Amino acid sequence: MLAFLTRRTIGAAVTLLIIAAVTFFLFFAVPADPARLACGKVCPPELLEQARRNLGLDAPVWQQFVAWLAGLVAGRDYEGLGHCPAPCLGYSFVNREPVLETILDRLPLTLSLTFGAAVLFLLFGVGTGVVAALRRGRPLDKIASVASLIGASVQIYFVGTLAMYFLVYQWQILDQPRYVPLTEDPIGWAYGLLLPWVVLSLIFTANYTRITRSTMVEQLTEDYVRTAVAKGLPRRTVVGRFALRGTLIPVVTIFGVDLGHLIGGAIITETTFGLQGIGRLAVRAVTDSDLPMLMATVLLAATAIVVFSIIVDVLYAVIDPRVRLS
Amino acid sequence: MTGRRRSFTAVAAIGVLAFAVACAPGNAGGGGSTPASSAPAPASDTETFTPPKVTIGTAEDSKGPAPAPEGVVRGGTVTMLDRDDFAHLDPGQIYLNTESNMALLYARGLTGYKRVGPNEYKLVGDLATDPGTPSDGGRTWTFTLKDGVKWQDGSPITSEDVKWTMERLFAPHITYGPAYIQQWLTGEEDYKKAYGGPYGGKRLDSIETPDEKTVVFRFKEPHADANFALAMTGYAIVPKAKDTKEKYDKEPFSSGPYVITSHTPDKSMELERNPHWDPATDPIRGGYPDKWRFEFGQERLQITDRFIADAGGDKTALSFYAWVAPERLQQVLKDENLKSRMLRQPSPYGNYYYFNLDRVKDIKHRQAINIAWPTRQLQQLEGGPAANVISTTILNPVVAGWQDYDVFGMKAKPEGDIERAKQLMAESSDPNPTIVYAYNQTPIEERKTVVIKNQLAKIGINVVPKPLARKTYYDQISKVDNGFDLYWGGWGQDWPSGSTVLPVIFGPVRDGGYNLSHLRDPEIDAEMKRILELADANEANAAWAALDKRIMETITPIVPDLNDIGTMLYGSRIGGAEIDPQLWNVSPNLIYVKPQ
Repeated sequence: MLAFLTRRTIGAAVTLLIIAAVTFFLFFAVPADPARLACGKVCPPELLEQARRNLGLDAPVWQQFVAWLAGLVAGRDYEGLGHCPAPCLGYSFVNREPVLETILDRLPLTLSLTFGAAVLFLLFGVGTGVVAALRRGRPLDKIASVASLIGASVQIYFVGTLAMYFLVYQWQILDQPRYVPLTEDPIGWAYGLLLPWVVLSLIFTANYTRITRSTMVEQLTEDYVRTAVAKGLPRRTVVGRFALRGTLIPVVTIFGVDLGHLIGGAIITETTFGLQGIGRLAVRAVTDSDLPMLMATVLLAATAIVVFSIIVDVLYAVIDPRVRLS
Repeated sequence: MTGRRRSFTAVAAIGVLAFAVACAPGNAGGGGSTPASSAPAPASDTETFTPPKVTIGTAEDSKGPAPAPEGVVRGGTVTMLDRDDFAHLDPGQIYLNTESNMALLYARGLTGYKRVGPNEYKLVGDLATDPGTPSDGGRTWTFTLKDGVKWQDGSPITSEDVKWTMERLFAPHITYGPAYIQQWLTGEEDYKKAYGGPYGGKRLDSIETPDEKTVVFRFKEPHADANFALAMTGYAIVPKAKDTKEKYDKEPFSSGPYVITSHTPDKSMELERNPHWDPATDPIRGGYPDKWRFEFGQERLQITDRFIADAGGDKTALSFYAWVAPERLQQVLKDENLKSRMLRQPSPYGNYYYFNLDRVKDIKHRQAINIAWPTRQLQQLEGGPAANVISTTILNPVVAGWQDYDVFGMKAKPEGDIERAKQLMAESSDPNPTIVYAYNQTPIEERKTVVIKNQLAKIGINVVPKPLARKTYYDQISKVDNGFDLYWGGWGQDWPSGSTVLPVIFGPVRDGGYNLSHLRDPEIDAEMKRILELADANEANAAWAALDKRIMETITPIVPDLNDIGTMLYGSRIGGAEIDPQLWNVSPNLIYVKPQ
């Protein structure tokens, strides 16, 4: 296990380094001049040069990348702006503050949105899929199949906008979604994010229902399940202890990818509900040509994907004893 | 500034031309009457908007407190919803109208605008006891600070703070904001070469502070409207003792009714009462709510829907600048229940299609295009009369002394007078010219380009459309040798005077400059110079209006474009809401929270 984790961690670090380098160098291929944006409207050539120096843009691109990497471990000094302590992800000349501060401010919302919705879509998706598989061919199975087909077909901006229009604006059953820190007001936290959770889970549940159902149907025909039934084990044990474990392998796989994507930024969800998370921050960074912020959001998304893929690999062994990490 | 076609682009272009507004910051007090919000006019061709009246007040007018709206209540929290955060908080870096409007909450200048009645404003002393005393033909201006004006820590605001504020505008880190006072003090257009700011210890001799209360500005030339220029937020006072240079842009020190207590960029901001702000010294701001909470990142459609629903906490919400979304405009205008919470106000800016006079040399061509211009068709594409009004002048109606005229009959025949235009083309040097029309490549502009091309084809003009990328639009059209004949641009006056419009848009011709039509006329230049040196503001205003008409009649360097109408909703428990006709934002000055 230790060797596996070491190997995967090194692989993840290399992957992230490559992503960082590609993002960094691609940024300089687009026709944007961060120094001009930072310099302002009245920007004669000498001030533009000064802005370039302040931002470190006067050095070759590879040196800028090395300086950025060094900032991650040792921090950086920005002329006229002060020190950016390690891990320094850079200084946003748009927000005029260290990137890490902004990321840390937005991350709690994104994590809350992601994990709250994940609990719902995992429970409902897997639960509905299991029930549909056990009731295969019966009305409940057909209803679940049709519902999941519809769920998989609609988009968040459609369902979310409708939900907002009716539940918030017309009928006023729910308040405008907002983020309240969990530590300040747990009930307000849950209430404020309830609608985005429900809408997100509606979209994601469909996929989990379909995968769980099809895999469970397959698992129920496996030899080891038939053996368990033949040995007279209760149905609940057969399903819960044997068939479900085999079913969870593909579920966990897509769950890891979905979590990584959501933490990387649920852009449309955040926009639909007027929430300020990592997703909208990433979009803003692109439109503002804010390289440090863009780097941070891209790396965060990549890190989430990489970390969850490692966790998923570990979970394979936990869920299915036949899988061995080597 | 969401969603309005080229207006948006203008601002996105880092204020190059666009609504470089900051115009006259602030309005004021209230004349003891209910703001105009309660009676929106119908949306049709017959809808009329009266231009605001701006006069110069007296020392008596400059005394606080601001006249309170009827039924005003102190206390409560107001929520401000908008899409974008404010890029700058340092007054010296502020030039945009949205930032100027917000800065009314925490920044005060020597002068400002006091609302004395519906659509009526006076330029008064804000920190100063009066709107200033000119001498030496307008070369010297003297201001005296009021007693009891303090910073948020209780320390007095002094003449040294005023001098320091003006000097720091020369420093390298101040790159936005207006340039008038700096140029007038040094007599240099490139004023930063003349003086580098006070941080190295060098001071500016042209500002004198004979005592703690008195400030004397000595300009190189007469400037009759220097007190208007000083009302711009860019000249709001910054404390010498608390000037943190670049960092001040994040944490400004308050002289106004509120202090910024928290700010998460692009997300939220909170302001609470400044205990050292004395309403008795402030003729402009009411400062009625206890607290302001700003929420950024809200899209225009969401904000509109929230105001329509008027639920829960949104009853005490407003937006400074998020106009009703186009998708909801007709619904909002037809809904009688919303009329009591609706505001409408035309834009104070000028929108023009500029002729490149270096290329479209025959005035008959320019006049024929004006006569045939498809104003009505373009208006329909932009949302119809509910969304914009037809403009026929260079100056906007909010400019003092503005005179309406319609040289080419655009209002009489908004669909264009093809026959009359054809006659003019027949008399021209080339009855079938080709013109290159450059436009911003957006869906709405594509459609408008088709309308313009088809219309001008009817009078024998072949229009070659040239789409330009949005991000580089202004860079391209502001090149002198741009290769285009006709293109759109906008401009906003910095205070309600023709002196911040005509000498700018018909000023020096250079790459990146503002004279997009490349008008070079010695007679016009001489007349502008003459008007700028007039000591009598009323005389100057009348002269600007006359010159406006003269330029259109004798040179015709532009085709006047439509003037957008902003429509705004707000929560039912908000009182005192009114769109400032100059800043084109909902002013925070009179806002209060109505009791439950």
